[in-house]
Amino acid sequence: MKKGIYILSLTLLICNIAFAQFVGKDGVSKALFYLQKEELDSAKKYIDEAAVDSTINGEAKTWYYKGFIYKELYKTKEKDDKNSNFRLEAISALRKLTEIDKEQEFTESSSKMLNYLASTLYNDAARSLTPETYQLAQGNFDKYKETMILSNPKVELISQDVKFKLALASMLNQYAQQSGQVDSTKKEQIKSIYKEVIALDSNNGSAHYNVGILYYNDAADIINNMDYDMDLERLNELQDVCIDLFLKALPYMRKSYELGYNPKETLIGLKNIYHGLNDEEKEEIYNKELETLDSPDEK
Amino acid sequence: MKKIAFILFSLFFIQTGFKPAGAIDTNAKIKAVFIYNFTKYIEWPKSYKEGEFIIGIIGESPLYSELTKMTQTKKVANQSLQVKKFNSADEVSKCHILYLSKDKSGEISSLLKSLKNNSTLIVTEQAGLVDKGAGINFIIKDNRQKFELNKGNVEKYKLKVSSSLEALAFTVK
Repeated sequence: MKKGIYILSLTLLICNIAFAQFVGKDGVSKALFYLQKEELDSAKKYIDEAAVDSTINGEAKTWYYKGFIYKELYKTKEKDDKNSNFRLEAISALRKLTEIDKEQEFTESSSKMLNYLASTLYNDAARSLTPETYQLAQGNFDKYKETMILSNPKVELISQDVKFKLALASMLNQYAQQSGQVDSTKKEQIKSIYKEVIALDSNNGSAHYNVGILYYNDAADIINNMDYDMDLERLNELQDVCIDLFLKALPYMRKSYELGYNPKETLIGLKNIYHGLNDEEKEEIYNKELETLDSPDEK
Repeated sequence: MKKIAFILFSLFFIQTGFKPAGAIDTNAKIKAVFIYNFTKYIEWPKSYKEGEFIIGIIGESPLYSELTKMTQTKKVANQSLQVKKFNSADEVSKCHILYLSKDKSGEISSLLKSLKNNSTLIVTEQAGLVDKGAGINFIIKDNRQKFELNKGNVEKYKLKVSSSLEALAFTVK
């Protein structure tokens, strides 16, 4: 019995010593204590409490350390999770920090953390560019851009955006071609991504070329799938549809030509579009140019 | 950030886009659909309703391969389709339909001589040929393929033209 009382007293003493250092300390201090001991779960517990504690949640340091702790949690526990909530929480905390850190006490350090988190989003977006997970890639890329802007509001992201959209459209394009699953919704989706690229970069030859080819292929597919038995009234209706598509393809392919993008493929595209439009004169112009390009003297 | 750039660049460089669907000559396919339809609206004499239904082509034309493809799946009534290629009007043998390619349009007169006493629908694609003996001539109107019909030229070869075909023609003479 005496031994039991002795053990209980000793335990209480140890607990008192451990918690004595927290007396009068706020959640941020407690969180930092555990952060130094690399006990991230405990650090998270106290920083979460601090974030809802009205006495300290107006202070920049609360959100700085919340961002830091969640970034560490992401690194140690969810590095391979492309949907990591710890990462999103870290960014969210650093966004709050940006709003309230008027003295810019933590700006430099916060910016480094944001750049790091943005880079992981960027990598995850690139790694998710597959037919099954491209929506996740799109989401992560959007978050990457938001995070970069948070880190530096003046950052230029158009070229990154263009590259990502081209890669996305290309991946969907190739998958649709290889799998034979080229339904009209998918084609429109791909076209729309290329048009977004053109909106960002009006002189992007690849996007112009691809939109031209997509319209051309729409018409060619209709004609290819015609039954020889089709009645002439229906044939005339479909000719109207195809001419409209060839005419839509034309300005994009012309622009690709003006930009000098992939000259041989663009000339083939123009030649075929004019062929579809039954414009022999123009078809011949581009055919001759193509022959010149192919001639040994030009090589 | 170097590693990041590498990941996206590698994806960027494999992008190629769609290739033009060059396997098909769009205009030839449309002409083939027209030609197959002509067989529904024109009646050949009884002696032409046996054996193979022959479509001849004079000169080089992408229509040849398109029509050859058509023979694999289509018939005219019970007659199997056959496509024959001729180098000139002088070589022509018995055909139900004869297509004179644009490059050989100058041979229309000798073709008419060769086809005397035959029941052949002459199809051309050169402006004015419908006035020089062709039964049907392909024309382009507003970028679309249409056809002119010279009923008299068709009937000269003991062929009967359905009024429905007249209604579908761009012009009828």
